[in-house]
Amino acid sequence: MVWEGKGKTAVVGIGLSKLTRRPEAPLGALALDACRAAIEDAGLKPEDIDGICTYPDQPFAGAGRRDGEDLVNALFLMNHGGLAPDIKWYAQISTGMIASAPIEGVNALISGAAKYVLFWRAMHIPKGTYNSFRSYSAGGDGQFGAVYGHVHGYQTHAIAYRHYLNKYHQNREKMAALVTNSRRNANLNPGAFFYNQPMSVEDYLNARMIAEPMCLFDCDVPIEGCTAIVMTTADRAKDLKNKPAYIAGYGQNTAHRPEYLTYMVDSYLDAGRPHVGKIYERAGMGPKDIDVAELYDGFAPSTLYWLEAAGFCGEGEALDFVQNGNVSLEGSLPVNTFGGSLSEGRLHGMGHLAEAVRQVTDRADKRQIKDANTAIAIDGSPLLRGSGMIFTREP
Amino acid sequence: MTTDSPRRVVPQPDELTQPFWDAVAEGRLMAQRCQQCGFYSHPPRIICNECHSFDLKWEPVSGKGKLYSYEVMHMQSITGFEDRVPYRTVLVELDEQPKLLFLGYLPGADDGSLTLGMPMEVFFEKIEGTDQTLPQFRPAK
Repeated sequence: MVWEGKGKTAVVGIGLSKLTRRPEAPLGALALDACRAAIEDAGLKPEDIDGICTYPDQPFAGAGRRDGEDLVNALFLMNHGGLAPDIKWYAQISTGMIASAPIEGVNALISGAAKYVLFWRAMHIPKGTYNSFRSYSAGGDGQFGAVYGHVHGYQTHAIAYRHYLNKYHQNREKMAALVTNSRRNANLNPGAFFYNQPMSVEDYLNARMIAEPMCLFDCDVPIEGCTAIVMTTADRAKDLKNKPAYIAGYGQNTAHRPEYLTYMVDSYLDAGRPHVGKIYERAGMGPKDIDVAELYDGFAPSTLYWLEAAGFCGEGEALDFVQNGNVSLEGSLPVNTFGGSLSEGRLHGMGHLAEAVRQVTDRADKRQIKDANTAIAIDGSPLLRGSGMIFTREP
Repeated sequence: MTTDSPRRVVPQPDELTQPFWDAVAEGRLMAQRCQQCGFYSHPPRIICNECHSFDLKWEPVSGKGKLYSYEVMHMQSITGFEDRVPYRTVLVELDEQPKLLFLGYLPGADDGSLTLGMPMEVFFEKIEGTDQTLPQFRPAK
């Protein structure tokens, strides 16, 4: 049954900070830049914002937690954002992934707890080697991983990816089609970190290995920056300056969470299908109704898993599906039209959400898909966690 | 391996995991097992992932299994392993139960000797320069 909240709320403003590898200001300053830009884009004033939500995760396990430097918590905006003096509602989410925060924003708007909700995700890039493990002893689950030189998410993703390639008789060379397509899209996105750098299939195939079978370009580019959006009810959205991107449905990964250390690596469909299924069910839609798909690519194989879990192609077929321009701006299903995390920058799915909004409101400039009436944005990986939304042009 | 290789990472046991490491020191591999439904859990947990009983005990496991998958690590980003890249980390599914997965470390680059699904067996490695023993996995003889 279609969700009664379908089309009752909308995104009405988007704001981005500079996305940079070498930050000149603390993360908190970039978050304020993005939030102010989103509020201005919506045609609102900071004091109109009476609800706030965020997903303030560390960039990787073991990074710091100082508010305004390593992450940007709800309190930071409450204290420093110049928002309504008496915030009516807030949420700070740590489960699912980034869309789990605006999902709570949708619920707050529908319930009447707040009128205008600001959501942001700020991502830090600590100094030194990104995501390094610097200890001679390992506690917790690290007792069964770090002692073997296995710490990083990319190593576990590489193990899962090799299992996938082997199981479905695929090869990693085919991934060049997806990764270079994302770069081509980023070359049309002035906000993307790799806006000015093209990538050829040869560039991809010659890239250095990180954790075989994953190479450098299978991993997203760590950046410092923030993206923010403003949401309100459909009724209020009509009076604002932008076309609203209506929220048709949402969903979260509720699979019994596999052990982080040893993801149940061939269960991505068991976990991913019910997750995307909840988004489809609420929206009253299926894969054939989707015009644009923004599918998380913190590691490139995740996009393959989402393509299959969302029913855009069959099990084990995603590497064939992405060939021959099928997922390009001109293809049958444009995917990661803004460049993805791989080429725009590592914002944990914020880029995907923002681009889905742009596509259904004709704000994607040179990347605009004609008559894009529906767009799905999914973050995370069906191997682990995630959340997502469908946006529509009409309520 | 040269003697001036950096130290390796050693486990820091806690109350939950101490029995595992005590057994490893004696050359035995164990896993937690639910006393209600028989389900094995690894890494150890306080509750059974299958039937949600808290009645878990340590039991010996065979150390025999199949190679589920592996990766070849190239990044010098883990203390003690910087000078060992490229090396392989293997994920082994024990015969006792589907998805009863253990990680292991195999020195060296991909030499084509590993095939997914191949039989694997546990062995015990004493880490040079320490009193620490680790369970490791290699292709079964």
